[in-house]
Amino acid sequence: MLALVPWILANPGSTLPELAQRFEIDERELEGDLELLPMCGLPPYTADRLIDVWVGDDGAVSIRLAEYFERPLRLTPAEGLGLLAAGRALLAVPGSDGGGPLATALEKLERVLGASGSVAVDVGGADHLAELRDAIEAGGQVELDYYSFARDEMTTRVVDPERVFNALGAWYLAGYCFRAAADRVFRVDRVRAVRSTGQPIEAHPNPPGTQGDGDPVYRAGPDDLRVRLRLESDAAWVADSLPVESRKDRAGGRVDVVLAVSGDAFLERLVLGLGPSATVLGPPEASTLVAAAAARVLARYTA
Amino acid sequence: MTDRLERMLNLTATLLDTRRPLTLDELAERLEPAYPDEKVARRRAFERDKETLRELGVPISVESVDDLGGESGYRIHPDDYYLPDLGLGDEERAALHVAVTAVRLEGGAAQAGLRKLGGIEGAAAPALAQLEVTPALADCFDAVSKRRTLEFMYRGEARVLEPYGVVHRFGHWYVVGRDRARDAPRSFRVDRIEGAPKVGAVRAFEPPPGVDPAAFLRDDPMAYGDAAPIDAQVLVDASRAAWVLDDLGTDAVVERRDDGAVVVGLQVVNREAFRTWVLGLLEHAEVLSPPAMRDDMVAWLRSLAVVPT
Repeated sequence: MLALVPWILANPGSTLPELAQRFEIDERELEGDLELLPMCGLPPYTADRLIDVWVGDDGAVSIRLAEYFERPLRLTPAEGLGLLAAGRALLAVPGSDGGGPLATALEKLERVLGASGSVAVDVGGADHLAELRDAIEAGGQVELDYYSFARDEMTTRVVDPERVFNALGAWYLAGYCFRAAADRVFRVDRVRAVRSTGQPIEAHPNPPGTQGDGDPVYRAGPDDLRVRLRLESDAAWVADSLPVESRKDRAGGRVDVVLAVSGDAFLERLVLGLGPSATVLGPPEASTLVAAAAARVLARYTA
Repeated sequence: MTDRLERMLNLTATLLDTRRPLTLDELAERLEPAYPDEKVARRRAFERDKETLRELGVPISVESVDDLGGESGYRIHPDDYYLPDLGLGDEERAALHVAVTAVRLEGGAAQAGLRKLGGIEGAAAPALAQLEVTPALADCFDAVSKRRTLEFMYRGEARVLEPYGVVHRFGHWYVVGRDRARDAPRSFRVDRIEGAPKVGAVRAFEPPPGVDPAAFLRDDPMAYGDAAPIDAQVLVDASRAAWVLDDLGTDAVVERRDDGAVVVGLQVVNREAFRTWVLGLLEHAEVLSPPAMRDDMVAWLRSLAVVPT
């Protein structure tokens, strides 16, 4: 409401459907809220001190005597930061127009918030990002030389690329992988080479359980090993950074988590890196796997 | 529910209209629909309304009704309430809409901000990026824009920071500025701030002219920390050499061996980051020097090579 009224005052003649779309409210809800306004105003609520609202025959909404709501409410810090962060992040994506309306809008916002130059966003680049975006735009199939971090192996795969996105500080490619015969997500910085196959992208039916926007980056398969891990308080951040299937907070800031693991190397790296701050609680094959990896690395030093 | 909405709009208008702070009793006299008559219920209802309005960003100020420090009164100073006219054009609003839909931040604060600026203009964009949001982040940004100091616990130590900016890199937010105790520039991971930071008085410091918050973060995570830098050397197998050199640059090469392996040199300040990096290469890398770091690695691995019973 506090955002709507200033807009209506500044843009007389806006219709209900237009307002509903602009402020993303259901039309009926909007009507209800507008009906409320005439009862609002200043004491003693006599006719001259009430807000007047009417909807004309053409559907246009008019408001009168609401001078206190003539200008919008200032932005909260969270709102200001949200706008600046989103804007700066988009400008940081390779290929953005640094001088266009987004840049000027941000400058105006920053000036008003007293925040000029105080929000910086780096989303990182990746060598083959531009080629992949071009392939997606052109609807062309690609062949990728890809290093699978979890499995610690190089593979070559034919992929119908669908979209790229940035999350957790890295760029990802989502697409249909012919080798796996399923949708897959790849990290763009692990792509060593991109080649066009000359074929166009096909449509692939989404397998059940696939999401559109807002995919988690890693989706566990039913066959993935479920590892129970105990994290000491200084490693508790792992529970927030990785897609754990469950977590139990324990005394002293410790956390027990269940993690789905699709590649041995992933678990080996994780536990070796955390050292005394993590303990594999089970299953036994996971403990053995990690110990064996540690022994293999140790062998280099003691050989 | 609608009664409460109506009352809150009237409360806001009344607080904006008044030239002097109004006490709760004066407000209760004037507002409709009425607050409860009973004192405790009245105070509770009012506090709820005040909290809700504050969460929206309505700046209700609490002041003494008279110069003798007597009863508290409430008002909204118009200068604090209104968003100054930004002079945003339609194209600019549309560009902000694209940004806010292409880059997702949890919590919808960006969308709420967009509504205050005049709502949706133009088409939405498909999701392209997602940024993390941590509870302390908005407080940090507030402190930055109002030049307020931040006090917080970090890794068990109390810190006082004059914050110059917030920077997002490596997938995380950092607050950067001058650490008062150390009188030196520092950066802190916002998600590692323990609890809610305390925010000090407005305009408590002046950032140096032309300061660039992004420059506070080194490009290399291994360079973080207060310790003195150590020169380390790592042997990397042929199978991983190309990757490592892509990462570190060919300047890092100290020696190329006949079998395709390379020895790289690194300046290490953050030993934890260095160890994680070396171990990330599993059995394809080995710390060659300095001896102390090599010994540390051996001790670390020894304790992991045993299956706990």
